[in-house]
Amino acid sequence: MSTATVGDLVSQPYKYGFVTDIETDKIAKGLDGDVVRLISAKKSEPPFLLNFRLKAFRQWQQMREPDWAQLGYPAIDYQDMVYYAAPRQQAKKASLDEVDPKLLETFEKLGIPLSEQKRLSNVAVDAVFDSVSIATTFREQLAEHGVIFCSISEAVKEYPDLIEKYLGTVVPGNDNFFAALNSAVFSDGSFVFIPKGVACPMELSTYFRINSGDTGQFERTLIVAEEGASVSYLEGCTAPMFDTNQLHAAVVELVALDDATIKYSTVQNWYAGDENGVGGIYNFVTKRGQCRGDRSKISWTQVETGSAITWKYPSCVLQGEDSVGEFYSVALTNNRQQADTGTKMVHVGPRTRSTIVSKGISAGHSSNSYRGLVQIGPKAQGARNYSQCDSMLIGDQAAANTYPYIRCQQPDAAIEHEASTCRISADQLFYLQSRGIGFEEAISMMVSGFCRDVFNQLPLEFAAEADKLLALKLEGSVG
Amino acid sequence: MVAVVPATPYAGAAGGASASATAAWLASLAGAPLPNRRQEDWRFTDPAALTGIDPQLIGLADPLAAQELPDGLECLSPAAASPWLGQALAATTSLEHWPVLLNAGASAGAAAAQPTSLLALRVSGAAGRLQLPLDAGDQPGLARFRLLLVVEAGAQLELLLQPSSGGVNAISLVSEVILEPGAELTLGSLAIGAAGSCLLQHTAVVQAPGSRFEHITVSAGWALARQEPRILQRQGGACTRLRALQVCCDRQLADTHSWVCFDGPDGELDQLHKAVADDQGRSVFNGAVRVPRAAQGTRAAQLSRSLLLSDRARIDTKPELEILADDVKCAHGATVSRLQAEELFYLQSRGIAADQAAQLLQRAFCAEVLRDLPAGAAALRPLHQLLGEG
Amino acid sequence: MICPDAPVLLEIRDLQAAVDDQPILKGVNLTIRAGEIHAVMGRNGSGKSTLSKVLAGHPAYTVTGGSVHYRGNDLLDLAPEQRARIGLFLGFQYPVEIPGVSNLEFLRVATNARRSEGGLEELDTFAFEDLVRERLEVVKMDPAFLERSVNEGFSGGEKKRNEILQMALLEPLVAILDETDSGLDIDALRIVAGGVNQLASPENATLLITHYQRLLDLITPDYVHVMAAGRILRSGGRELALELERTGYDWVDQELERFAAEGQQTGRAPLEVG
Repeated sequence: MSTATVGDLVSQPYKYGFVTDIETDKIAKGLDGDVVRLISAKKSEPPFLLNFRLKAFRQWQQMREPDWAQLGYPAIDYQDMVYYAAPRQQAKKASLDEVDPKLLETFEKLGIPLSEQKRLSNVAVDAVFDSVSIATTFREQLAEHGVIFCSISEAVKEYPDLIEKYLGTVVPGNDNFFAALNSAVFSDGSFVFIPKGVACPMELSTYFRINSGDTGQFERTLIVAEEGASVSYLEGCTAPMFDTNQLHAAVVELVALDDATIKYSTVQNWYAGDENGVGGIYNFVTKRGQCRGDRSKISWTQVETGSAITWKYPSCVLQGEDSVGEFYSVALTNNRQQADTGTKMVHVGPRTRSTIVSKGISAGHSSNSYRGLVQIGPKAQGARNYSQCDSMLIGDQAAANTYPYIRCQQPDAAIEHEASTCRISADQLFYLQSRGIGFEEAISMMVSGFCRDVFNQLPLEFAAEADKLLALKLEGSVG
Repeated sequence: MVAVVPATPYAGAAGGASASATAAWLASLAGAPLPNRRQEDWRFTDPAALTGIDPQLIGLADPLAAQELPDGLECLSPAAASPWLGQALAATTSLEHWPVLLNAGASAGAAAAQPTSLLALRVSGAAGRLQLPLDAGDQPGLARFRLLLVVEAGAQLELLLQPSSGGVNAISLVSEVILEPGAELTLGSLAIGAAGSCLLQHTAVVQAPGSRFEHITVSAGWALARQEPRILQRQGGACTRLRALQVCCDRQLADTHSWVCFDGPDGELDQLHKAVADDQGRSVFNGAVRVPRAAQGTRAAQLSRSLLLSDRARIDTKPELEILADDVKCAHGATVSRLQAEELFYLQSRGIAADQAAQLLQRAFCAEVLRDLPAGAAALRPLHQLLGEG
Repeated sequence: MICPDAPVLLEIRDLQAAVDDQPILKGVNLTIRAGEIHAVMGRNGSGKSTLSKVLAGHPAYTVTGGSVHYRGNDLLDLAPEQRARIGLFLGFQYPVEIPGVSNLEFLRVATNARRSEGGLEELDTFAFEDLVRERLEVVKMDPAFLERSVNEGFSGGEKKRNEILQMALLEPLVAILDETDSGLDIDALRIVAGGVNQLASPENATLLITHYQRLLDLITPDYVHVMAAGRILRSGGRELALELERTGYDWVDQELERFAAEGQQTGRAPLEVG
């Protein structure tokens, strides 16, 4: 391998690492019942939500941080963290023209123009900055179709019945340590409601930006697709470079009723820390979708490239008959990153089907674990699962672990699991080089070939971006 | 269909001793309380069946009685065996495993002080075949047995263990195997239990480069069967072939926890684990494969195939692959299914009755492992023992 | 075609190379002019494959002495991809499989890398498809192979055709074909040889590395060189290949011994023509 050329390559710096200098309304560090009440009060929430928060908080206090994953990080001091930070502006503006231009500029720098002239014509965006949503585009146009797309804070005020009906029904307040923490202190996030029979006319997308250095980000996303409805939703995230770690403990809940389809894609590019593992986001996220209705379908696609640590298992509970769950994932780790990610497919109803395609790429000194559960319950006659999880190792200091757990209680079920490990061989690289293809491009071709099955699942606008992102993240890692 | 052993409830069936008294007795033997399901290694395996036996030790008949040792096999005295004992257990990090503790841990002294049968064999040259019947019969209680095999450089042996039980008792079998460079061992185990019987079989193996270890385990009929093959390729470069078949019906629980670690380059593993679960049987498979950084060039393949035949049976499988070397080829696969409808239909369309067709397919499923057992096993009609007359 | 006034494309002088500190090439001299077809023959282990890898810049080989000039410029300084872009092509003896990378995309990226180096505009996907379909004719390859991953699951013959297809697209000035005939049945060999002949022109040159005469029955070389022990032992016209076919390589051993003795006396490598 041409180590000389590679050794000389300098890693591309993280290009979203800037900090926006903006006046922020922050509460004091620390967490107790009063902080939970304060957050709820700041958001003028109805009593049911305050109760939901307080109950989760009490349960969280009784819980232990999970330690079963293959992750190593210093203990997190939950009292040394700010639980609410918002850019200081009055209530959310009715029109984009009134939003602080600095914020608009921030999102523009991130490649997410919000202003009417520049925004993408076929993607509606909810932009979340630290703890609050600052703008949601195309709200009115979507409303014409009956689609609700707004921040969850607004939804609490404008559609309290829907929130009360669905919030916490997929991921209960006491589901796990981080979900309980989120339930107690969640700040903002997106709410999507697609009424019966409506196919959402455009892509919906939420863009999360952590700006403050000592703020935990606890957003909460709830997507409900009623009977026969369908939606494709994309989540993107970045954060500035700090040499401290920030905690990101989000909860995403999806509900699909009869014949509904929800496609949820994530391109995650949080700051991953530097090459020595200093700084970066701790991404401890609970994502779960419930196929409540018959013939409903939930599909998760994720491209995980950032974060110092990722702990995340987007899951599907397949309750409805003939419901379908899918999980397509690319997780790339480099330098000192650690990822423990995978999915859970819980087959409850008969003839439920699930597909898992996971591609892990580990480079540098990183560690990348796939952890999956396929559970076929006693009533899931005719259930089918196919899982494929492949690992690619780049360099000899990286680790790839695979823990695909299968539990089956139904004889009329078929579960198939396949896994493989490969690497980019020096001979393959030389072959491509000898045809005039540069070293980096050769790597990138092979990596994107490895990931193709997953990229094909991304909305078209983002597939190319994911490809580029991966190439960028791998620069200088081979040799 | 799988032959159903008469469903005798095992708990409390033995000589009137209470389960808690037996549990206390076992704990005192092991110097550690019975495993419980809060321990990751026992998460899916309830050792309760063990508490159904009488709290007393029993001996197994000398497995070498009435047979001559083939040339190249030499029995080691406890003193001669002593320096070897514990080596493979330590190397495979098995010393604290409960079944090992139950068998007086690693120390030969402790083994000698208690009525634990110890059989230590040294193999040199091509030693041919040997069978070791380990029958607990219908004696009530716990039989403990230790086996040590030192296979010298270039030596070969084909050994068939036959743990069996005909009553409410338990056999705990701890084997240590040391394979020197170029040594070849085929270690078969055909373990047939009875209602209420338990089998704890712990096999620690250390392989030197160029050695070959083929391990075929078949178990059926035990209320609880726990197999723990643990293999370390000390400097890589060895060949390990694991074949397992576990059949559990009635309310039986069969569990295999395998562990293979490559501590050097160019090792090879070929593992096939098969399970059949019928009635309310529960089958557990946990297959760990460790490929540390030093193990470049490792080739490891693991396949787990389970047949789930009843809607009250249950299968838990969990492969665990930990890979830290980049130039390796590791693949694993797992399938869980019932008999293939198309295959059944194909046979039926040729005039074979449905239940007969099912039996044929089950036999074929089992035969893939059974045919690899050492030749002596054929006389024991393993298929018949597993699946009944067909 | 021998044309003494044609420009020199490749000039190899006293080239020495090692792999894992094991010297393999011990002073190779060879001059290749435009329009010429050279054949390097020799037994396994004679160093002929090493020569091709070193020329293409394989990182496993270290050049320990000598020089290689390509159209007057130092070749050894260049990265493998740069060598390809300026017109050096290696047809591999064992082309690797690259799962996941589409053959069509691979061919397009490679072709465009070569084109932009030559100041030509890059071809878009449509223009490229037209080009590739036209060039497929050269090797009579089924377009279905474009949709597959690079060499993945290709038979030996299909892999070699894919190599010649790349050659047809990249239009190299110097094409080195390493044991292109190995593993080919006679029909595949004819197709591959036909492709090479079709691509040969007065502007470019071909260096065939082969074990057997049978490829040279189909592609007529202007020069034949016999390699042994890391050197070119003897050079001549096509009749040298025919002589080898008749007499085998046994005389090589005798000659080697003689050279070894001479080398000890004079301390210099034997000289070649070319």
